[in-house]
Amino acid sequence: MREPIVIENLSKYYNKFLALDNLCLRVAENENVGLLGPNGAGKSTTLKILCGLIRSSSGAAYINGINVAERPEQALSRIGAIIETPEFYPFLTPEETLSYLGRLRGMRGDGLRRRIKEVIQLVRLKEWSTVKIEKFSRGMKQRLAVAQALLHDPPILILDEPALGLDPRGVVEFREIIEGVGKEKTVLFASHQLVEVAQICNQVAIIDHGRLLAYDNIAELEKKYQSLERAYLELTGGSFE
Amino acid sequence: MSEFEKLRVVTGYEFLKHIRRRRLYVILGLTLVAELAVLILLPVLMEGYPDNIMVMAAMLTIGPSLATIGAVFFAGDSIAGEFESKTGYMLFTNPVRRTTLVTGKYLASCAAVILLIVFGYAIVCISLLAIYGNIPIETAKSFGLCLLYAGSVLSVTFFFSSVSKGAMGATVITLVFLMVISGVIDGVLTMAGQPSWFLLSNAGDSIATVYGGYELLMEGIMPPGGMGMLPFEIKTPDIGLCALSMVIYLVVGFVLSILISKRRQLA
Repeated sequence: MREPIVIENLSKYYNKFLALDNLCLRVAENENVGLLGPNGAGKSTTLKILCGLIRSSSGAAYINGINVAERPEQALSRIGAIIETPEFYPFLTPEETLSYLGRLRGMRGDGLRRRIKEVIQLVRLKEWSTVKIEKFSRGMKQRLAVAQALLHDPPILILDEPALGLDPRGVVEFREIIEGVGKEKTVLFASHQLVEVAQICNQVAIIDHGRLLAYDNIAELEKKYQSLERAYLELTGGSFE
Repeated sequence: MSEFEKLRVVTGYEFLKHIRRRRLYVILGLTLVAELAVLILLPVLMEGYPDNIMVMAAMLTIGPSLATIGAVFFAGDSIAGEFESKTGYMLFTNPVRRTTLVTGKYLASCAAVILLIVFGYAIVCISLLAIYGNIPIETAKSFGLCLLYAGSVLSVTFFFSSVSKGAMGATVITLVFLMVISGVIDGVLTMAGQPSWFLLSNAGDSIATVYGGYELLMEGIMPPGGMGMLPFEIKTPDIGLCALSMVIYLVVGFVLSILISKRRQLA
């Protein structure tokens, strides 16, 4: 089976700081993988390289077999992404923003309008769909970020702390959305929230100092370390006591 | 979907951004105030309008300032803003080439500045028609040079926007470059009797001097023969060389801004 996301010996230096150290990761089709690690572990760097936002110092990242650094447009056409807390143009409304992004992806006419309504409904922004984003709270922008990631119904989702800024109800709704769409998609999902990852993903990759420490099924890790939390703490050098 | 179609989409939405920003209407308002000030103060302070329509046309020409302010305020944040305000995380994860994005932003900024310039020249034309019943053909030349100047200032602004961390930095650096550094060097070269056509500030002067050179422009504010009293000679810039200079700034600034934007990372 072809793996939609392949990371091969990826290294990344920020000046002299080594953020990724020969990282290797393969995500199989329709797998939902949680990328766990402490602050500065290299999670966001990994996802940014996959989205073509930054270049690796060495190694390569592939989306559906396409080298992201060499053919970013082709690679990006297959993914929906939320990186950090994205901002939107304050002078546009959610409908206009989604229309802009949809048209950039070749969506048109009634199909685009119908899909915009669907995703706006999905993230519960219907009442705000024609209000300029300058009036939006952080949580509302995060909902819009989810909507733009799902707009073109991509087979691959790359999500970096996607529930950041959402209120408790928003977190639950987000989890339900990703659980729902994730059944038919390949998801690579970076988070600090172990509970959230455990509910959405069936596998986790734990990284620290840019190195892959473990990549396994959550059930296997729980069996080996008693709990996902204990596995995370032991592997990243923290003390469970 | 072709890159040309994507370019149309980017240009359209970027232009929408300019249309919805308050700064467009503020600059339009200031243009109107500046032109009205000339039209009202001249007859009050100088006992009527100049007899020579060219002098009046030149005095009403605020094109260089308008083009500079418009270009800098519309383009300063075009590239730097995507990195500073993190909108790039939303935009750059789409399958669009950076070249297309920068070109679309450039075209949209051009359209917004052209809107300002057309408004300014419409006031000039209406005023000249009302006062003299005539519009000199040089107005069209001035308009053309003003469009070229705006394009070159936009390119310079895009260049600074592509290398700056923030939009404010890009805006300030461009203004300092155009109005202070270029202006000071221009002044020194003029005093030394050296050519300065390669400076954008000097090239911008051609927008007004197309009506008849510095001597004619000075008619309105100096006594006859006043230019001769200056301790150095001010040569009217050569239109052809000025146009060439502006084309070079336009092309080089634009190409550099694309190359730098393509290399720039959103860390």
